[in-house]
Amino acid sequence: MERSVYLDYAATSPVDPRVAERMLRCLTADGAFGNPSSAHRHGAAAMRLVEQARDSVCARVGAEPAGLVFTSGATEANNLALKGVLADAPAERRQLVTTRIEHKSVLDTARALEAAGCEISWVDCDTRGVVRPEAVAEAIGPRTALVSVMHVNNETGAVQDVAALAGLCRERGVLLHVDAAQSVGKVPLDIGAAGIDLCSLTAHKACGPKGVGALYVRPGVRLEPQLHGGEQQRGLRPGTLPTHQIVGMGSAYALADPAGEGPRLRELRLRLWRGLAAIHGASVNGDLDSGAPHILNVAFPGVDGESLRCAIREISVSAGSACTSDSPEASHVLSTMGLPDARALGSIRFGIGRFTTAEEVDYAAARVAAEVARLRALADAAPRWCSA
Amino acid sequence: MDYSSEVLRRFDSPATAGETDGADADAGLVAGEAEDRSLNVWVRFQVQLRDGAIRDVRFRAFGCPHTIAAADWAAERLHGRPAAALRQIDVPRIRRELEIPTEKLGKLLRIEDALAACADRIGVPAPED
Repeated sequence: MERSVYLDYAATSPVDPRVAERMLRCLTADGAFGNPSSAHRHGAAAMRLVEQARDSVCARVGAEPAGLVFTSGATEANNLALKGVLADAPAERRQLVTTRIEHKSVLDTARALEAAGCEISWVDCDTRGVVRPEAVAEAIGPRTALVSVMHVNNETGAVQDVAALAGLCRERGVLLHVDAAQSVGKVPLDIGAAGIDLCSLTAHKACGPKGVGALYVRPGVRLEPQLHGGEQQRGLRPGTLPTHQIVGMGSAYALADPAGEGPRLRELRLRLWRGLAAIHGASVNGDLDSGAPHILNVAFPGVDGESLRCAIREISVSAGSACTSDSPEASHVLSTMGLPDARALGSIRFGIGRFTTAEEVDYAAARVAAEVARLRALADAAPRWCSA
Repeated sequence: MDYSSEVLRRFDSPATAGETDGADADAGLVAGEAEDRSLNVWVRFQVQLRDGAIRDVRFRAFGCPHTIAAADWAAERLHGRPAAALRQIDVPRIRRELEIPTEKLGKLLRIEDALAACADRIGVPAPED
């Protein structure tokens, strides 16, 4: 059987067996399968596990348990935060400030809000993928109700200074939403200490299950529910609580300690980069020193990214682009950082995680080097724009 | 993206990639290329002719696996054929045989353009519209 290496932890991660084992205990007749909202003993048993999971999630991110609303993931949490706050804001304050490097679930939600009559103010990043707090401050105006900035960028790993952003938002009487889908287990996050008003979380990037996440809503912050049909979670997100998913998220967050995992991930990323740095012209998109420890985005000039991914197809990695169409579209993040299209299209994102080994990293670096050399030889004498 | 086994085979080991050997001093040698920056594709063919027939065809390409596999397919099919065949490459057939998605058609057309550039250099008359 052909070798298989997974280096796409920024897309998703396998469920930790310890997490899966706890989830299984919530599914069958001999476990906590009851509806947590039910008043009988089966419901109460499930609700106890839900509350334990809530405490575990909140302990990891420094949040008040009363503010946590479980969702189907970070995409739903981002939708609820942006639409919920803007829908509740007075008509004269329906402006959102966000950045051009957000995840699609923020970008597309912002565009939907714009189509519905809200005003959107877009902020750029610098060449390292970092958003300057001063640029956000300049974009905030008297009509601004909400600022939304991601903590860790999902393509480059750039870490934004959310504490500084929270401070300037507080000074201006504006709410701050942070999409922290990539943060947990990799970068310390303390929602309370930073003063973040709303924060989107997910389980599956931290060796938890897909299909569950949460929106932290600081007590006192008002937002309009986007779903209707029950009183669960204070009416902010109705629907039967999925005990097994929530327990999975709680268990995953209990294990996801950045102080424990971060240094190992950082070492593996550095090892991977040392291997790739031997490739002529290879360069990091972002900043190795200040970026999150689990993401390495590298440009390989003179190589088409789709071809490189195909050539190393036994290694699962992601593109910095959406290449499914005839006209390949460069990553909006890399383009905002100022990369030429050909370079952005020749970039690959490596995601390192809990089960990645040093041997896998070495193997990946060697295979990439071999295939870059082969593809460059195939394109010998190509015009300069191919390797711009 | 899924690739057909034929695309993968040709992409992994394109038999016609590179340069002609140049050992035949009596053979004519021409090259033609085409590109589309918006599609991130460049293709170059080198054609060796002897007595009006194509003795060897080699390609170089920058682009996706479909482009590389299709250029290899086209070069292989032109071996031994008359020079006029440079203008008769059947892009829809390449697409069908290699099971290339329709949205990649624009890239495949650059192969047709590069071979037409070779035909221009040789003086193969263009078909009348």
